[in-house]
Amino acid sequence: MMTGEQYKASLRDGRRTYLDGERVTDPANHPRLKVAVERAARVYDSFYDPRPGAFNPVYIMPKSVEEYEERRALLRKGETDMTLGTTGVVLLALATSAPELGHLKPEYRERIYDYIEFVKANDLRCAEVVTDAKGHRKLRPNQQDDPDFYVHVVDRTSEGVYITGAKMHISGASLDHELVVLPTKAMRPGEEAYAIACAVPVNAPGVTIIDTTYAPYGDYDPRDYPVSGSRNCPEGFVVFDRVFVPYERVFLDGETSHAAVLAHSLGLWERAEGTLHAADDADRMVGLAALLAEANGTADQPHVKDRLAWLVVYATMCRAAAEAAMLHARKTEDGLLTPSPLYVSALKYYRSEMMAKVLDIVHDMGGSLIVNAPRWRDFDNPELHTALAKALGTEPLTAEERLQLFSYVRDTTADAYGGWSYVTGQLAGGGQHAQRLVAMRQYDLERAKDLARKVLKSAGRAEEGSAAGLV
Amino acid sequence: MHMRSGESYRQSIRDGRALYLEGERVADPTEHPLIKPSVDWVAATYDRLAAGGRNWIFEPPRSQGELQAQMTFLLEADDTAASTAGCAMLRELADAPGVHGARLTSFLDRVRSEDLRVANAVLDAGEGVRIVRRSPEGVVISGAKRHVMGASIVHELLVVPSGKVPADQSERAVAAAVGVNAKGVRIVNVTTTPRAQDARHFPLSQVRSMPDCFVVFDEVFVPWERVFLDGDTEASGRFAEVLGVWERARAAAWMAEEAELVFGLAQTIVEMNGVPNASHILDKLSHMAVWATMCRAGWEAAIDNAVKTPSGTVLPSALHVYATLAYGRNHYNEMVGYLHDVSGALVLTCPSVADYDNEATHHYMEKYLRTMKGVTGWDRMKMFHLIRDMTADHYGGWAKVVQQSIGGGLHGQRMATLRLYPKEAAKAKARLFARVDERQPQRPPTTT
Repeated sequence: MMTGEQYKASLRDGRRTYLDGERVTDPANHPRLKVAVERAARVYDSFYDPRPGAFNPVYIMPKSVEEYEERRALLRKGETDMTLGTTGVVLLALATSAPELGHLKPEYRERIYDYIEFVKANDLRCAEVVTDAKGHRKLRPNQQDDPDFYVHVVDRTSEGVYITGAKMHISGASLDHELVVLPTKAMRPGEEAYAIACAVPVNAPGVTIIDTTYAPYGDYDPRDYPVSGSRNCPEGFVVFDRVFVPYERVFLDGETSHAAVLAHSLGLWERAEGTLHAADDADRMVGLAALLAEANGTADQPHVKDRLAWLVVYATMCRAAAEAAMLHARKTEDGLLTPSPLYVSALKYYRSEMMAKVLDIVHDMGGSLIVNAPRWRDFDNPELHTALAKALGTEPLTAEERLQLFSYVRDTTADAYGGWSYVTGQLAGGGQHAQRLVAMRQYDLERAKDLARKVLKSAGRAEEGSAAGLV
Repeated sequence: MHMRSGESYRQSIRDGRALYLEGERVADPTEHPLIKPSVDWVAATYDRLAAGGRNWIFEPPRSQGELQAQMTFLLEADDTAASTAGCAMLRELADAPGVHGARLTSFLDRVRSEDLRVANAVLDAGEGVRIVRRSPEGVVISGAKRHVMGASIVHELLVVPSGKVPADQSERAVAAAVGVNAKGVRIVNVTTTPRAQDARHFPLSQVRSMPDCFVVFDEVFVPWERVFLDGDTEASGRFAEVLGVWERARAAAWMAEEAELVFGLAQTIVEMNGVPNASHILDKLSHMAVWATMCRAGWEAAIDNAVKTPSGTVLPSALHVYATLAYGRNHYNEMVGYLHDVSGALVLTCPSVADYDNEATHHYMEKYLRTMKGVTGWDRMKMFHLIRDMTADHYGGWAKVVQQSIGGGLHGQRMATLRLYPKEAAKAKARLFARVDERQPQRPPTTT
């Protein structure tokens, strides 16, 4: 296993990463990346075990609810960050798809399991590399005026393929070791070159990553950014310019019928991981709203209680759906456990539908001090401290506690990270339209219709209704 | 009237005022990197007015057409122009009982003749501001006010009670004008000005940020000629009432503008993506179109139903202003969610203008951000940057919360609408339709 220091050194591998218009040669020492690298390094240290054969539990592919829970419990023993999260999700997606891809070519299945062993043995972090540039959204990949709008095979030799294209919104790409490239959607006959899934090292020749990050700018006080100041992660715009991929790292190569299998698996696992957080997030929102009401002395007002109750119902439904997703989990042919896609998508959809209102309530409870309370360095300044402490402290909270509360709510819901969090909460794992499609596909509509038919039968009109095309 | 130039304005605020930002003392607001862009915005308004045309700050609207014209000006102008215009409306209180009208009028005359900018200090921080001592020369006030827009870069702070003060707290019933550089005034600045070295990544906030200030009054002496309310609790609520009318009016006018802008961004992006007719996109756009139309309708109804004050100033209808805010803000987050949904995650992850300029990455950005003939990578990048800055970044978060808070937050806006709604007329309509008032028919006598 790698230590944090070894991890940091491993990123100095000649990768072509850019941020704010400049080349980044050492992410661990870049002012807007070093916090993310430091955190990833702490994650390495938190799991480090020098014994030969030791490995991070993220590489466990669970085959039962018990194993799934055990994996989660083991993961909870260490720290976590984006790179660990994406590694787990993308490997689970590969493993979930392996049996089906194995039916196409047995070597795909073998390569996937070999690859999982490889990253496990070397303690590597992997990025989920899915969304293409897409060009004109209405046109198929092979109809675009630039064939590179979707990543595709542009050349091949007896050893491997060359790929070209770009992938967007790749969380943590420039802090990872491996890019796991998957087709963004289903492909059709004629689009074989676009049905490519493979793994590419981040420093492979031809890979360029242009980052953005919600990491705070400049010399900031971490107390003003209690979450984003210590837990940020770059998003990569990843370009592949004739990148060579050896066949042992190619998991799908031209079988258009199966192009969507991997993205579907990935979306499922990404949403599933999200659902577990969704339930905790929802409870935290209830708590924040309640504390803000107390901080502003409005907790006893009927309209405040009314809206807290609304939040409580929301949080309870999130928890219920998250639990139902595991209760209705299924197994793949190889025995890998997967959460119920219906409940996972329903929760993702429900949460996104409600989130605008959830944030409105929290902001209404807090008022504008959420965004315009003085910052911590103002509070520390002896010329201001006494006056600010007096003006900001209200029973039962001290001025410090109120500032902490406002800083947290601003950082997570009304600042750069809050914006990132709101948008990715909606879009990660597919937007609302995609969730509706999955839910419709997974829902037992026939059973529902049977229930409805009973209504017709009870009225003695089953035959008539059927004949009229009503059922 | 003396028309100040932008440069003269800059000079005038270099007066030793006690300003702080992130704990550091700000020596010169016109040079501080995070405050200078706001100073430049205010200076631009000065220069624009000096170039000619009606000065909407000091000349209140006399007709419905003028009300719209004034708002169009104030939406373009910086926040201090708007707060000064709101302050100028306090002339309406010159004859109000309990108000020192002559002093107030004289102050407002000076603001106008010297072309000053005023920030209105209304919302209380902690217990707000109170009179701690009186002397033959004036009063001494202490306390704090929050969310005072532009306090650090105006000339005068107009301190007023945040609402009607209870009769037993007359020391809090104080309205007074305080020079920003008065002894004992300390101003803490919070600003959305971009911290990035290259502000091009923030197309809106680099030009439309204004210090949102927390103002501390520590034993500040105010001479009598600057004290407009001194202990009269009955009159204490009137100042915030008048100022609130104009703050909410501008917010409602902005609601109509902003809703159209949000729709325009969504429509532009889906056309750039080539999918303006996808059914799920049409579904979202239609919701946004209804929202934008209703916000505009609400603001226009506020003008249509405007009322005239005894002095002839036209005020927008309070009912329609509140209803526009309540409706528009209630749906704002949902509509922004639709905007994000149709735009996709490039809203967050579109690299910066500096990356676009960098030779090593320029080609890739132009190649992969473009979508079709006529839609360049540059065009899309600029759109994504605006959407992020306006709705999903530092400025967007601040603006969302602040706009939502105007008029008492979503709950307050709704309750005010309910209070103002013509309930009697609605009840009469209900009775009419139910025919409640028709004569009750005579029942036939019951037989046993």
